[in-house]
Amino acid sequence: MNAPLLPFLLRHFTLRHWRLAPKQSALLVLILALGVAVFVAVRLANRAAVSSFSNFTDTLTGQSDWMIQSPTGSFPESVLPELRAGLGARAVHIIPLLEVSGATPPAADETTKLGRTTYTLLGVDLLGIRNLARLQDREFFPKGNDAFWDTFNRGPQVWVSPDYASTPPTEVALVIDDSIRVLPVAGLIPTAPDAPRAPATLMIADLEQLQKIAGKVGRISRVEFIVEAGPNLAQRRSEVRDVLQALALVSPNSSTSAEARWSVAAPGARREAAEAMTRAFSLNLTVLSLIALLTGLYLIFQALDGAVVRRRPEIAILRSLGVEERAIQRLWLAESALLGLLGGALGLLLGWAGAQLAVRGVAQTINALYYATTVASAQLTVEEVGLGLGLGVLAALVAGFWPAREAARTPPAQVLQRGVRPFAGARIGRSIGLGLGLIAAGIVCAQLPPVALAGGGRFPLAGYVAAFLWVFGGGIAAAFLLPPMARLARGFGERFVNVKIALSHLRQPSGRHRLAAAALVCAIGMTAGMTILVASFEQTMQGWVKRALQADLYISSAGAQSASAQNQISAATAQALIEHPSVARAGRLIVHFIDLDGISTTLSGADLEDPATRPDLPWIVAPRDGAIFDPARNANLVLVSESFTARFAVGVGATLRLPTPAGVRPVVVAGVFADYGNERGSILITRRQVQVWFGEDAVTNLALYVKPGVDSDALRAELLQRYPGLSIFTNAKLRDEVLRVFRQTFSITYALEVIGIAVAMTGLALTLISVLLDRRDELTTLRALGFRRQQIALAASVEGLAVSTCAVVTGLGLSLALGWLLIFVINKQSFGWTLSAALPVWPLLGLGAAVMATGWIVSYAVGLWGADLPADREE
Amino acid sequence: MPPALATPVFSVSAVSKNYGERRVIDSVSFTVAAGQRLALTGPSGSGKTTLLNCLGGVDRPDSGEITLNGLRIDQLDSDGLARLRRQHVGTVFQFFHLLPTLTAEENIALPLHLLGVAAPARRLRVQESLERIGLAHRAAALPSQLSGGEQQRIAIARALIHRPNLILADEPTGNLDSVNGANILALLRELTDETHTALILVTHSEEAAAICQNRIHLRDGRIVDRT
Repeated sequence: MNAPLLPFLLRHFTLRHWRLAPKQSALLVLILALGVAVFVAVRLANRAAVSSFSNFTDTLTGQSDWMIQSPTGSFPESVLPELRAGLGARAVHIIPLLEVSGATPPAADETTKLGRTTYTLLGVDLLGIRNLARLQDREFFPKGNDAFWDTFNRGPQVWVSPDYASTPPTEVALVIDDSIRVLPVAGLIPTAPDAPRAPATLMIADLEQLQKIAGKVGRISRVEFIVEAGPNLAQRRSEVRDVLQALALVSPNSSTSAEARWSVAAPGARREAAEAMTRAFSLNLTVLSLIALLTGLYLIFQALDGAVVRRRPEIAILRSLGVEERAIQRLWLAESALLGLLGGALGLLLGWAGAQLAVRGVAQTINALYYATTVASAQLTVEEVGLGLGLGVLAALVAGFWPAREAARTPPAQVLQRGVRPFAGARIGRSIGLGLGLIAAGIVCAQLPPVALAGGGRFPLAGYVAAFLWVFGGGIAAAFLLPPMARLARGFGERFVNVKIALSHLRQPSGRHRLAAAALVCAIGMTAGMTILVASFEQTMQGWVKRALQADLYISSAGAQSASAQNQISAATAQALIEHPSVARAGRLIVHFIDLDGISTTLSGADLEDPATRPDLPWIVAPRDGAIFDPARNANLVLVSESFTARFAVGVGATLRLPTPAGVRPVVVAGVFADYGNERGSILITRRQVQVWFGEDAVTNLALYVKPGVDSDALRAELLQRYPGLSIFTNAKLRDEVLRVFRQTFSITYALEVIGIAVAMTGLALTLISVLLDRRDELTTLRALGFRRQQIALAASVEGLAVSTCAVVTGLGLSLALGWLLIFVINKQSFGWTLSAALPVWPLLGLGAAVMATGWIVSYAVGLWGADLPADREE
Repeated sequence: MPPALATPVFSVSAVSKNYGERRVIDSVSFTVAAGQRLALTGPSGSGKTTLLNCLGGVDRPDSGEITLNGLRIDQLDSDGLARLRRQHVGTVFQFFHLLPTLTAEENIALPLHLLGVAAPARRLRVQESLERIGLAHRAAALPSQLSGGEQQRIAIARALIHRPNLILADEPTGNLDSVNGANILALLRELTDETHTALILVTHSEEAAAICQNRIHLRDGRIVDRT
């Protein structure tokens, strides 16, 4: 093809067709845009939810050089002189930080709901950081020394982010541990144009004052180090790292220890750890978001193929004038790419808008399962723009390949003589052997292990490949149901002429019928498969909640609103609650976050010795004997959750080396229990031991069993009155709340499924439009024979119904397999949770009926349109 | 005009039709009586097919009257036109237009199906019709398995199976070789004579026009000659 021909053909044929049929072109762009938008929205929402996890130094000082963190979560302040001494005269700023979480106090109508905004209070030595050159232009304090000391004399205060409030409020109320603290606001966190803005959920306080507020006097969460600028900076940085690593291995009594007291991390390590923690979750959501794009591919294929049918005479003329096959193929591929580019661009905009909505749902899930995050606005980056446009173009080219080939193969003489060949479809789509082969390959993939991700995550790549193979295989197999279905309905055909016409087309289904059925099978299979997964999850959760929640009242800090919150109930408050005259007995739980082998997990202490109050654990592997419950024998025994065994690849009998403030403690796994409330995995040990190791009497949760005759609701109201900083749930309310949070977690998947079904239905409509355009001569004949438009529409609707029915039958069958795959392979490999399978018969039948009814209605509407196609006017 | 054909079954009066600015039929008038065969001839673009579409109720004239058996078909709604075609009109196309997924006998049976004729009677009439056109042995064949001549014979049988008053044929031999074309014309003449059905035949062919008692020649949408 000579070079100028392609632009000429694009300008004079493709673009003119777009101008003549702007609605059709816009629909194509919109379909592509929808697929790209869902993908982009989910990616942006994921990124925004994770990006709210910011470092102090990211927002305040620019990047720090190094950071040290304890595997047990905190240090004694005594490490600071040790660090200073160890670093000697090196020009390094040492910035100790204390991180405390707090939440807005519940409003009167919010006392039975989880998920209020969690704030991070960062305690920093405000006097110390005044020396940082990088902060010289960002002053926390009013000018003048008097004003500076006045600020301190006023007692505990916080600085809030400009994103929290553009003009600082006079005070903020936060629940920290079991108390509501009203803290005066000293001002806004200073910002600089070259540094990221502080997230809305970050508040800064003076270190010493925050230690007092949080009851953590003498404790710090981590230390950051900034090496002074100057010559040999890189070398001095690495020296500092080496010193810090060496110091970590020196125990306070100056002897060398085998276990590091802290880990030395580079800037951004905390963010990377957060991303690693949610990587499996993000990948799962991204794969789900591809359903809409996958179904959209079928649809674009249909639409482009329809365009080939409509323009076939024109293609034939071009061919007869000497335009080569290859040139026609390139023209169509160029049109596809152009559509992809436009769809990708629009998809980016729609995706960005969608992300602003989706980020809330994603953030809520991350909050519930992983760590405190907030609804940050989702930003488009150059990388996302490239990805969105690339995805749009790639999808359009993949979808446009076969139609382009079909267009190029248009036989000019035949078409010009009006002997139009009906679309046969790709040869591979007509082989039942291929369909069954793909399904068999999927079975093999389903047996393969997951891919290990950094940070202990696992991604079930082979499981998803199996799902895609089954979806494609099922899609191919579906069309093979059409001929037997047509034979079964033969009796109706003898009675109703329009049914006869419809059935006659199904005896040898065209490529278009096959594609429409495959697209619907894809959407129905995935949607119904997810429905089975959610139902199974819900059934398992209900059983677990029923078993795990036996007490009458459950109490925690009202500040504990996310999976990573560390707010606790003080020992005094806990004791007062346990000794309340209405309380018969109480179970106590302490939760600490630790880093085991560099992976974050939870260490919990419970009263395992007391049969009356210890948690009734649903066993995956029950302990062999009662040693774990025997105070004389359980000092070094632990139970672990099922997700822990998957994340850390350990089982019963394995030895774990637990980092504790008292040093590393070896423990042996005695049993494995199911825990659907924590994806990080958890280690459970006797509370007595945790108290010894961590030297704390505070508890994280209390489960109260009331005396006979005591009204739990009345007691809850009384306790809330007395302790407004506590969150208190009755048994029934907590069960409801757990299930509400669970359903909310899955809400985004429902939205993705609805989009998938809508795209598939549009595909069915486009299929029938192409089919009717292909049969324009037949429509003319039918009208000439006296068919009314309603009869023509009815024939089309029977055809559409038959395709929908066969897709529903195959799709629901496929969903059983996908449900199994999602429950026992993908979920198990991603989260390590064993679920009991449930079959939600009525929702599945409802989905099938809805698809068939929609298929019928859409096809009838298309049939009416087809019946009105103008008669042939050629002489 | 033969005495037996005196009563018109079909009359066209001052029919005009435009496509945009272009007038494709300009005030055309004529009548056709039962059993009469009328040829519409003229060069390409003279409006023959458009006129035929208007006569069959597939297209609508912009002005003028078209009456079949005393019924103003230009005033019928979509359903009325469909009923009219179903009961009173049979159509034969140049490209046969058999439904590719139905067998020969099923194609012929379609109009009877539409009229609600019971299955036994339907089968009997289709069988008779197939025998009459000499294709009883091809009853179960799909259109793709038939030759062009066979397909057109099936199309003629389908056009006549419900005993219409009027047959509209658009270049029925245009896609056939001369031998098959002659056979088809002979069949059309015989069948319209046997059933006393009116025939309007659009054609370029002198041989085809020759089977008609009357001829109207169109140019630029106007009747320029009438014999």
